Amino acid sequence: MRLLLAILVLGVLTGCTPGAERAPAVAAVDPAGPPVIASTGASLMQRARNGAAEVTIVSVWATWCAPCREKFPAMLATSARHEGRVRLLLLSADFDDQVAEARAFLASQGYADTSWIKSEKDQEFIDSVHPQWSGALPATLVFDREGRLSAFWEGSADSARFENAVQKALTPEGGPS
Amino acid sequence: MRNPLLTAFALSALLAVPASAQETAAPTAPTALELGASAPMADVPMQGIDGKSLTIAKATGKKGTLVIFTCNACPWVKNWETRIAEVGNAAAKSGIGVIAINPNDPAQNAEDGFDEMKKRAKKLGLRFPYVVDASSDIARAFGATRTPEVFLFDAKGKLVYHGAIDDNARDAKAVEARWLSDAVVAVAAGKPVGESKTKALGCTIKFRKTAS
Repeated sequence: MRLLLAILVLGVLTGCTPGAERAPAVAAVDPAGPPVIASTGASLMQRARNGAAEVTIVSVWATWCAPCREKFPAMLATSARHEGRVRLLLLSADFDDQVAEARAFLASQGYADTSWIKSEKDQEFIDSVHPQWSGALPATLVFDREGRLSAFWEGSADSARFENAVQKALTPEGGPS
Repeated sequence: MRNPLLTAFALSALLAVPASAQETAAPTAPTALELGASAPMADVPMQGIDGKSLTIAKATGKKGTLVIFTCNACPWVKNWETRIAEVGNAAAKSGIGVIAINPNDPAQNAEDGFDEMKKRAKKLGLRFPYVVDASSDIARAFGATRTPEVFLFDAKGKLVYHGAIDDNARDAKAVEARWLSDAVVAVAAGKPVGESKTKALGCTIKFRKTAS
């Protein structure tokens, strides 16, 4: 039992999320923008479900998607309002030669955290993010503390929609598993 | 459902379908037309870039019908547009009726307007009609969510392919699966389609607000 506990503690300390890529804990702001790391849809969904925050918002976006860009301020403001409770996982669906554009856009929004960019072909990416996602961008998924999907929608959203989704995920019986 | 408030809430939840997208507790996506279904709203006239009005029924070909939801402004469409023209023209040549439909509200992006449709069709050499879904209701009825998104019906008018053009928007040379082209060849030959449902990223359709 003690051994099991030790293994568990070790696992937590070392960050046992498979495929975890840790952002360097530096305060310096890179003018090119925050780090953007290649990831599969499945890997990011695993992270989204790991219960590391009370609410996790996954936003799949692209620099060349107008509604994606438009919803950024509302999304960031909602996340900031619930600092410490809401975690944002941004997953860019830009083509892999557009990392620079993605980083520049994130910087322009004042976003400084690590985010991700898709590393696989469209169809497997879409199905691994959510089997019922048609592929239309943007796509937003909201998970609760238990890693259960609480909301999913395609298309843009305003502050009220993000706020409602956060409140719903914060509510204990907030959704089906 | 004895609680009237609860009933009202449940009803409003059922009825509230926002123009942009659906959001409910359960993972939901708009319900797309199922394989085997026939084209909805096939008798609704839409204005073509030639000034004439056209319905899906009139665009139907002897060997099948290809309905392409597309637009002018979407970057994914721009990546694919040459291939859309090629496969559409080839389908038309093989006896499949082809109709490209623009469901986007030009009020949300002027580039999706009528004049730009004419320019784009000319530039691409489209040998099939390009029409306006002026209420976006045709796209809603198909359950289309993005551009480009295609629906291919066989000679009997049954949906046999729904999805993407191919598996690589960015690079035509790197395409490994020519889904639509393969489906068109199969339908023109009266054969079953191999991959009948595919997905690709695309721009959300800029639906017009529903009249209420």
